[in-house]
Amino acid sequence: MAKQQMNPTARFFEQLDSAVQKKREGNLISTNPITINFPPRNLNRSTALEVSNLTVIRSGKTILEDINLEIKTGDFVAIVGPNGSGKSTLALSILGFLKAHNGTIKIFEEKPLSKKLNGRIGWVPQAAANLPKDLKVTVEELVMLGTVDAKNMFFRPNAERKSRVKKAIEKVGLEPYSKTDISKLSGGQKQRAVIAKAIASDAEFIIFDEPLVGIDKETRNSLLKLLDNLCHDEGKTILMISHDITAMRQTAHRMVYLEEGIRYDGPSSSFPDFSLLAAIRGIVQVHDAPKEVKPKEEE
Amino acid sequence: MGLGVIILELVAPLLELLAPLMPGDTFPAFFKLEMAQRSLIAAIMVTIVAGFLGLFLIMKNQALMGDGIAHVSFGGIAVGVVLGASSPLWYALLFAIIASICINELQSREILTGDASIAIFLTGTLALGLFILKVWEGDEFTGVAEIHSYLFGNLLLMPEESLDLIALVCVVSLILLAAMRNALLATTIDPFAARIQGIPVRRIELLFSIITAAVVVSMVKVIGALLVTALLVTPAATAKQISSSFKSCVFMTQVVGLISVISGIYVSAEMNSGTGSTIALVAAIIFVIVLTSKSAFNLVIKKHEN
Repeated sequence: MAKQQMNPTARFFEQLDSAVQKKREGNLISTNPITINFPPRNLNRSTALEVSNLTVIRSGKTILEDINLEIKTGDFVAIVGPNGSGKSTLALSILGFLKAHNGTIKIFEEKPLSKKLNGRIGWVPQAAANLPKDLKVTVEELVMLGTVDAKNMFFRPNAERKSRVKKAIEKVGLEPYSKTDISKLSGGQKQRAVIAKAIASDAEFIIFDEPLVGIDKETRNSLLKLLDNLCHDEGKTILMISHDITAMRQTAHRMVYLEEGIRYDGPSSSFPDFSLLAAIRGIVQVHDAPKEVKPKEEE
Repeated sequence: MGLGVIILELVAPLLELLAPLMPGDTFPAFFKLEMAQRSLIAAIMVTIVAGFLGLFLIMKNQALMGDGIAHVSFGGIAVGVVLGASSPLWYALLFAIIASICINELQSREILTGDASIAIFLTGTLALGLFILKVWEGDEFTGVAEIHSYLFGNLLLMPEESLDLIALVCVVSLILLAAMRNALLATTIDPFAARIQGIPVRRIELLFSIITAAVVVSMVKVIGALLVTALLVTPAATAKQISSSFKSCVFMTQVVGLISVISGIYVSAEMNSGTGSTIALVAAIIFVIVLTSKSAFNLVIKKHEN
């Protein structure tokens, strides 16, 4: 508790000191993850997401245990980790689609799926895998669906909704394709269209689930640039699930490494290098010192 | 006076006006005789709603839902026939709605996903119908023709009560589907995102299941339980090949569906073939023609480009 009340900057330096101390002593052990809280640029920022003591059990298996995570508004946080580490489970729990066995989740001080959150959160899944195969809609029609909510769902889109759609399509750079059938687009373009749908909903907090899978290098880079702009120019809070550690390290402010609990939570710039990561994850050296290769006997 | 009769009285003068323009020997009768007018109107109403509904079923990857519900409704009809109901369609409606709610629950609770839950209800209620017919009616069962008419459709035998039921179901379903099309499309594309935006996804899906059940039951009389999918899925699948947006797809589905139904009725009237099967056949032929000409067209374009 005392630690909680401490000035965040002071806490940061204290943790930094203890991490450095541990590193000097050479006892950085996988069971003691280093936690360096990112010093907020503006201390008055409100909390977008607060996950405390979250435990999620799916079909008898504990996927997440005692997870604590706090995200401030305007942050760009990446959750990284290997396949099956529970990244997507965490995202679905935050959204309220998976029941928490224990612990609490608060988004903008509200419970997930609360009516007060309608339209404030956006969800962007991996487009190529999640769009129905037999879909026949144009980019414009798809993005328009992002503006549908409980109040306006029976009405035709008004001018305000139309302008939101137009702006969202411009932001992701799909104007030339706004009348194009979505099935004729490339994987990266589809992903942009789905992002535009989330932007059009005017969400302040957008959760992305593996949007970088299956797209080429240029598209990936422009997507990352787009996310960066969303965060810095539009003040959106971004939580991104990805297993692309290097891409996230270049883009996110803060990284959370998830594997049987949170193993690292801190600024992307101090994300551990490969050997440190191996130590944190408890991966042992399997190769002995290189041996001399004996020539094969010919038969 | 039911809704069907009101619509009939409104449209009848128009049909009579068109009658002299219609080709064939028997076909113009559909525009003149009240009995046949009822059939024509029922067929057209059912086609309009079925096309719209089918579009969503295809996108939801639930093309077989219609077929499943049709079999379920056959079970209901059998029960109705045994109980001596004047309009067994009401029993079919009850059975179909209960089954569709159960299927929706099984799927949304992930107890059984996809087609498996449909298959169980399809065979279960069909078997119930056959069982009841055999046990209660025995070998001297006289309603074979009636049962036959529900299996393969009997458009020409359209009593007023059936037309009223069909009209009520079609008009209400069309209004509901049109009103919730945006919410339904958003739910189909991404139920998670739709729920976060505030769309009541579960209620929308439940209502959609009930509408599907009701529309399929109204189609049974027109095209037959075994052939329901022909009007539900084929026009939408054909339209999908030649349209580039949701709007144009909705429009083309109606065009293809109405062409299938009207030319199907024409052919069946002139060649004295069963209406239901002829409509289904025409719809399938149109699909094949559209698909082959589209491929041929694309081939020609590619050659020109090279």
